[in-house]
Amino acid sequence: MASLNNSITPFVGPPYLQALRPASSMSSNRFDEGYSEDTRSQSGSDMVMRTDSRLGDGIGTDQDPQYPLPDWVLNMSENDRSEFAYAILRSLRTSSIAAIVEKLNPLLHLDPVIYLPPEITFQIFSYLNPETLLRASTLSRTWRTRLVDSPLWKLLFRLEGWNSNFPQVRAFEDAEKLRRAEKKEKGRKTRPRAAEDMEYEKPSTKKRLRERPLFGDGASSDNGIHDKLEPLSLNNSKEGHTIWGEQHSVVEADDSPTAKAEDKMEGIAYHDSSATTTPTTENRRERRPLELSEHSSTSLSSSSMDPPIRPTLLLSSSPEPKINWQYLYKQKKRLEDNWDAGRFSNFQLPHPKYPAEAHTECVYTIQYSGKFLVSGSRDHTVRIWNLDTQRLVLPPLVGHEASVLCLQFDERPDQDIVVSGGSDCNVILWQFSTGRLLKMLEDAHTESVLNLRFDDRYLVTCSKDKTIKVWNRKEILPTDDTYPASTTKSTARFPSYIINMERELESQHLYFKPLQSYSLLMTLDGHAAAVNAIQILDGQIVSASGDRSVKVWNVRTGACLKSFSGHSKGIACVQFDGRRIVSGSSDETVRIFDRATGAEVACLQGHKNLVRTVQAQFGDLPGNEEDLEAEARAVDRSFFDAQRRGLIPSEMTREQRRARNAGSKDPKAIFAYGAKLPPGGGGSKWARIVSGSYDETVIIWKRGDDGAWEKSKTLFQNEAVKAAGGRPRRPVTQNHAHVNQPAQPNFQAIAQQAQAQAQAAQNLAQQAQALHAATQVMNPTNAPNGTTVAATNPTQSANAGANQGQAAGPGQQHAQQQGAVVNATAHHHHHGPHHHHHPFPGPVNPPGTNSRVFKLQFDARRIICCSQDPIIVGWDFANNDKDIIQASQFFSDSV
Amino acid sequence: MAATSADAKKVTLTTSDNADLTVEREVAERSILIKNLLEDIGDNGDAIPIPNVNEAVMKKVLEWCEQHRKDPPASQDDDADSRKKSTDIDEWDQKFMQVDQEMLFEIILAANYLDIKALLDVGCKTVANMIKGKSPDEIRKTFNIQNDFTPEEEDQIRRENEWAEDR
Repeated sequence: MASLNNSITPFVGPPYLQALRPASSMSSNRFDEGYSEDTRSQSGSDMVMRTDSRLGDGIGTDQDPQYPLPDWVLNMSENDRSEFAYAILRSLRTSSIAAIVEKLNPLLHLDPVIYLPPEITFQIFSYLNPETLLRASTLSRTWRTRLVDSPLWKLLFRLEGWNSNFPQVRAFEDAEKLRRAEKKEKGRKTRPRAAEDMEYEKPSTKKRLRERPLFGDGASSDNGIHDKLEPLSLNNSKEGHTIWGEQHSVVEADDSPTAKAEDKMEGIAYHDSSATTTPTTENRRERRPLELSEHSSTSLSSSSMDPPIRPTLLLSSSPEPKINWQYLYKQKKRLEDNWDAGRFSNFQLPHPKYPAEAHTECVYTIQYSGKFLVSGSRDHTVRIWNLDTQRLVLPPLVGHEASVLCLQFDERPDQDIVVSGGSDCNVILWQFSTGRLLKMLEDAHTESVLNLRFDDRYLVTCSKDKTIKVWNRKEILPTDDTYPASTTKSTARFPSYIINMERELESQHLYFKPLQSYSLLMTLDGHAAAVNAIQILDGQIVSASGDRSVKVWNVRTGACLKSFSGHSKGIACVQFDGRRIVSGSSDETVRIFDRATGAEVACLQGHKNLVRTVQAQFGDLPGNEEDLEAEARAVDRSFFDAQRRGLIPSEMTREQRRARNAGSKDPKAIFAYGAKLPPGGGGSKWARIVSGSYDETVIIWKRGDDGAWEKSKTLFQNEAVKAAGGRPRRPVTQNHAHVNQPAQPNFQAIAQQAQAQAQAAQNLAQQAQALHAATQVMNPTNAPNGTTVAATNPTQSANAGANQGQAAGPGQQHAQQQGAVVNATAHHHHHGPHHHHHPFPGPVNPPGTNSRVFKLQFDARRIICCSQDPIIVGWDFANNDKDIIQASQFFSDSV
Repeated sequence: MAATSADAKKVTLTTSDNADLTVEREVAERSILIKNLLEDIGDNGDAIPIPNVNEAVMKKVLEWCEQHRKDPPASQDDDADSRKKSTDIDEWDQKFMQVDQEMLFEIILAANYLDIKALLDVGCKTVANMIKGKSPDEIRKTFNIQNDFTPEEEDQIRRENEWAEDR
């Protein structure tokens, strides 16, 4: 009561004086118990209270010398005492008041990191951006400890819309746990900590729940905040526990019950260790994790920085191997910077040392996943590569009688499959692990099979014959959910063996034969020209055709749900992520359509020929549909507003109609409204589209400041081949006729061939070098370009990659782009004599010849593309940085 | 439920310093802790002890609850935490949060203890806004933070942090 009355005190002074009120009021009941000194006791009581609540030392020590307050003052009510103090203050000169204010300052400005428990500062920090947080990490050791907190950075990572590969994080932590446990098993038999040992080993053998696609532990961190009781009354030992234990254990927990139990146990382990170490004030002051004394391997001298200045992959402060998300965040940011700055190294398949492993003709299709890449070529073969070694995993897969045009694979042991389609109208199923031909769907179509996709249930193929076909991947019964549901709405053609369930049920026909796997379920007609590309997602098929339309179909009924038009010429490629359809066309543009409304939300102009391949990654935050729609509405409003105010002519000129919007939010640029997506398609600032074209370039698109897609970088396919350390296209293999035999089942023969080729290549390299020297003299026009010079420099051999990796500074970027030889694994360098032939300088392989890009794929770190060139090339934006490479395994590719 | 049928019903809260505060049940139930307590033990008219919050802070918290008594209940949506967070605070709350730092922190702690998510959010945003856009020295001054780094250490950290700077 008294305290509230205080607020009507007539004194309206500086805020810090007013601020004194609640502070003293809060301790008023202590005053009433009687103290002998006023200012002193006030600060004293505050000190006691604040020490309880972990306020730092030093506060209050600069208080006035002892001035015992008379009892009559102490017996006054809070309000009266306040009035009295005010009266005393008003009797002083301003300078004296200022001095008092100065002394009181520490009472009024409190350090939240000391005052508030980690769960709460975690929430406070989650509102701040990484730059601010890092700046704040220089404030004090306590601040730094709270700010380099791994769970906080995990949240920040997610808030960027970045994807992470959770299974990989778990697997890595578990493997490391096992490794440490084994090590410990040997070394610490004598120690009576069996219970803890068990806890170390148990989790690694537990079957982990499969994670949600993104982070699943928001809820548990929330619980952590709300479960926290009595933050003010923490005692010393609990304090250490709170700072060091709970934050990590609670927040890092995933939401599976097993993990929760495990975290509890972790907590117990902490407790044990704190019991053995007396939590003295010194201990607290040093802010050392209590468990450090238990784990000599990670112990640090108190003088060194803890956590370490430079984040490491595994947390140094955790007894369990835990991935440090600050490290991942940092490397991801550095990787993104490399993308934006165009810092990359090139690599190729095959490895330059094993040219004989190459396809012998152009490569129409590739897909990669993890360390494997599978390619299909005009040479009739499918090849499976190991991206780490750049070598073939198996001899080429032979079975198609003509060009392989499309493929998809799934290397996971429960799938273990490659499906390919070709100009021979056939679809072939291969066993991924062995390369064995499992099944051929002969004459799957009446013309070339142009594209195919599969999910767990269906295989969908499309063809030049204008049709789409759906096949079952597993044996099914008509009663299964996957079985086609024929409806009158659907124009799909069903084979005669497909039963109309409704009718059959009426006639009580209850015995059904199972339908064998890879039976044709239905044929979808509707496109008026070749169906060039196809996607399947969540029961929807998205198809793109030469008839300039994109159609969406229901995979069970075969009904066409929607048709999108906008492209002015045939469409070559399509990607569908559930919300947006991204397509590339012969009209040289990439367009983005809103799946829900069909509105065209962006048109990307920049290629000079057909856009043959496109991949987009919008970096959506989980559950941001509403935000996207709200953003779309806001843009609509400003559009109509501008229209009302006459800023937009109601009639568009022909020119305006032709000018397409690349995603700008400027009302004047808007030409579609009512969409569920904002212009450009929405997504995070890290959104990226990569497209490949018959103009022989790959364009990386990023969003500009106004949200419009812009060319961020243009990459040249054949520069990449040169930079990857390979030969110029074709001439070499043409020298070796036997390589042109597509089928070479004998691997040993290939190896011998390769050796012979390497020898030949070496000779060639010498020639090339000589030629290069000559060219430099004869052809000075190449010099300004820099490209050819860098690429033909004799130092650009296999181990140049390593040299460049070390020397790579911003200034050398150009040389690096052009010249680096990439080995995905740094230890894979060859230090022997140069086996490599050097790329020919420009005149022999002038830029822009015969390298139309057919297919590309990108992930967090690389773009890999195939083209008219038999060599598959890649751009690796890790740019030989070993930290980025190490962290990249935990970044998820989102396709 | 029972709460709606008897919305004028009052409950008494006993603070850590033994003050009894009587408020409408609907207001008190902005606190999930109190709401659950009332549901679990039933409202038998006994005062509810709130041992971690003193009278001054409790009054402030109840003032907020009164103002926000009709707000929809906090969503249990996990997504809410994974969204990009804004530190915007509505006007009334901004005014409400214009208190000295000790009171501010006490409100935050009380909101945490009493499980009043929206108040905790506002409190945390308020502190975040006190950090935003300030130089380290300004932040140190704002919170009376003792810099326990040597200049070399501070410099080292600053250099390590350069990766985060936007080019």
